[in-house]
Amino acid sequence: MASGIRDKVAIIGMGCTRFGERWDCGPEELMVEAFNEALTDSGVSRDQIEMAWLGLFFQEQSAGKSGLPLSMGLRLPNIPVTRVENMCATGTEALRGAVYAVAAGACDIAMAVGVEKLKDTGYPGLPERSKGTFDDLWLPNATAPGAFAQLASAYQAKHGCDSIDLKRAMAHISVKSHDNGLLNPKAHLRRAITEEQAMNAPMIAAPLGLYDCCGVSDGAACAIVTSVEKAKEMGIKDMITVKAMQLAPSNGFEMSTTDWDGSYLQTTRIAAARAYKEAGITDPIKQLDMTEVHDCFSVTELVVMEDLGLCEEGGAIKAVLDGKFDKDGDVPCQIDGGLKCFGHPIGASGLRMAYEIYLQLQGKAGERQLDSPSMGLTHNLGGHPFRNVASVSVLGLHSE
Amino acid sequence: MSYGILSFGAYVPSLRLDRKAVFEAVGWATPNLRGLASGERSVANWDEDAITMAVEAGLDCLADTEFSVPHICMASTTFPFSDRSNSGLVADALNLQRSIATEDFGGSRRAGTSALSRALSNNESSLMIASDCREAQPGSVQEMNYGHGSACVLLGEGKPIAEFLSSSSEHEDLIDQYRANGIEYDYSLEERWVREEGWLKIAPEAMQGAASKAGIELSEIDHFVVHGNGGAVAALSKKLGIERSRFADDLKAICGDTGAAHPFLMLSNVLSNAGAGDTVMLVGFGQGVDALLIKTTDHLTTGRQGRGAERFMARRRATSNYTFYLSLRQRLSLDFGLRAERDNRTALSAFYRKRRDINAMIGGRCSSCDALQYPKSIICVSCGASDSQVEESLSGLTGRVKSFTEDWLAYTPSPPYIYGNVEFDGGANVMLEFTDFEPGSLRTGDEIRLAFRVKDRDEKRKFHRYFWKPAPLTRL
Repeated sequence: MASGIRDKVAIIGMGCTRFGERWDCGPEELMVEAFNEALTDSGVSRDQIEMAWLGLFFQEQSAGKSGLPLSMGLRLPNIPVTRVENMCATGTEALRGAVYAVAAGACDIAMAVGVEKLKDTGYPGLPERSKGTFDDLWLPNATAPGAFAQLASAYQAKHGCDSIDLKRAMAHISVKSHDNGLLNPKAHLRRAITEEQAMNAPMIAAPLGLYDCCGVSDGAACAIVTSVEKAKEMGIKDMITVKAMQLAPSNGFEMSTTDWDGSYLQTTRIAAARAYKEAGITDPIKQLDMTEVHDCFSVTELVVMEDLGLCEEGGAIKAVLDGKFDKDGDVPCQIDGGLKCFGHPIGASGLRMAYEIYLQLQGKAGERQLDSPSMGLTHNLGGHPFRNVASVSVLGLHSE
Repeated sequence: MSYGILSFGAYVPSLRLDRKAVFEAVGWATPNLRGLASGERSVANWDEDAITMAVEAGLDCLADTEFSVPHICMASTTFPFSDRSNSGLVADALNLQRSIATEDFGGSRRAGTSALSRALSNNESSLMIASDCREAQPGSVQEMNYGHGSACVLLGEGKPIAEFLSSSSEHEDLIDQYRANGIEYDYSLEERWVREEGWLKIAPEAMQGAASKAGIELSEIDHFVVHGNGGAVAALSKKLGIERSRFADDLKAICGDTGAAHPFLMLSNVLSNAGAGDTVMLVGFGQGVDALLIKTTDHLTTGRQGRGAERFMARRRATSNYTFYLSLRQRLSLDFGLRAERDNRTALSAFYRKRRDINAMIGGRCSSCDALQYPKSIICVSCGASDSQVEESLSGLTGRVKSFTEDWLAYTPSPPYIYGNVEFDGGANVMLEFTDFEPGSLRTGDEIRLAFRVKDRDEKRKFHRYFWKPAPLTRL
């Protein structure tokens, strides 16, 4: 009987570049920067790393396909490198590969690197891409903001809420993330904004304005993992272990049936339920000390609070406006600024979220340090609400 | 059961451009256009062309009919494809039987009336559609006079709304206007010459010929469908001694001259208003004349319900924005930014595999659990049954908007790009691109119908791909 991943694998080193418009860096420089920080942090030597996973999404525009960009960029000693790609869950998917390899006993030490070089594409937002030969024949050429904006119209229709209240709650989310990002030296956007600015910003895809959308950034992040046994041998104290790693891709339920009303994220609910079970979480509001969720757009974060069980269904507007997810709230969300302000280099984002929790659990988060957290959650949503890949991970202080 | 015209249909794009706005924009250079600057002309949306308008007319004509169409004919001077069956794509979109003969007729504004004359003379069963989407040079007389539109008639055995009496044709190489291959605009000659030498000399011969064959006098005919410009109708009325009121409305006030489609469009308007037992003479003009004589029957008043002019008069979006019109029709090249550079290459082998799914929006209804899904799949999305789906077209379904957005980031020739989830009355949910909605007008819960439109244009390879889009549902 499978027992899940809980407390089997320890994260022993992490690194993350400054996210942003890194005009002076290509994917190679970004990967090396994140890797060097992680390697120093872990205390292992580069030769001890036996397997690696590379997370990279818009491969055509940046580094190229396959595991080669990582192997070549870091001059790795011909160890296996697997490139994974699962839309915005790519970074977490890379980590999952490394974690599972160690848990399976295939190797002692494995590494995950996520990288994205978006600012060479020429696009201010995410670049255009083909949806494949059939989907291009019928699916709208939707942009990410347009696809996620529909969460708002469907949420409003379902719960009968006032559009101004909804817009204000969305603005609150963005203001909060900007305040948090201000304290993070690695964040892409480090500037406070006001609720009025957020509510009156130019419209991108109604009702999402400019400040409802996350940054599009360059960046890389890296994690080095080993088994709990090996970590003990290495004498690591206050070990950070993986409590759960779950993934739920859509199967057509949302886009092809009439059972989904468009107001929530079905896959996030499924991945969260599995992750809570795997991690032994029965009361997420009490047991989770922080979350790093996929706030690609303010409205995504709003509905995700419900989908993760951090507030009741239909109650997100009130919970957000009451500050439940602010820095000093019940379960702080995006203490590092989130996708909104830390930035969103697709392939690196899942690992960036893990990086923040890793720092917070060790008390190393500097000015933005929370008061002794012991468990945190990361969440990614790759794709669009009607068809996506959701990942939910739980990381925490090791418990025997 | 007898042979004749079983049904008819018409389509005029909802967008109507105020001719005064055209004059206000270009009158500084062409003050002679002042006299034409009244009423509205129809303008095809960026995603409309002769094919999509033909499909609209066909849908209008075939609604609530039980006739199996063995032959489809499309007449146009603006076929989107010179080598790809235009009528074939229209047949596919109308989800007609696959054992169908398809024919494209072009080369003249008279192409539709000539084909109709032949079909009626030979008792052929056919869906005959005329559709034209002629562009005009900014500041030209044509820009004022032309409109976009389509109309059709269904011929066959059944309960005809009109019966064929006779027809007559004359050919004369009088070049009142022409458009050489590969050239965008028509070149027109002096209207007075066309009127004197063309309309007043050639048309009466053909009209008289048709009347004689039917054994009636021109003066006995109730309606004349004559589409000439520049006073041709008035001159003809005078010359033939037939009062002007028997000449049908040329629709200049609401849509303009729709080229090869215009005789059919005017006819549809006449059929929408004529009485049973009325005689109607249909005239096509262009390097000669076709004159066809038909007589309406008692079935007209029931057969025309909800069709033709009634519908296109009700669907109307007025605009006075001249540059909007120019840009939609690609007469003005605005900078739409990087996203407009998207490569829209179509994998034609993939399209061929899915051609029916795309052209007729064929989805699958699960025979195990009854769930309708688009696209259809091998495994049912609801119950997981394999190979259980029966083909079912969604194109005729209405539905409601579940979620939507107005996207100012995505590229569309008519921003914002509006798209969202639609729940269909047949039970399916599909994410689709919307068309013909004014920005700010859409709400969740709104009712929609589906319209066959250009989905993307591949500017590199000059290919257009088509699909179905939710459009405003006009209840009559």
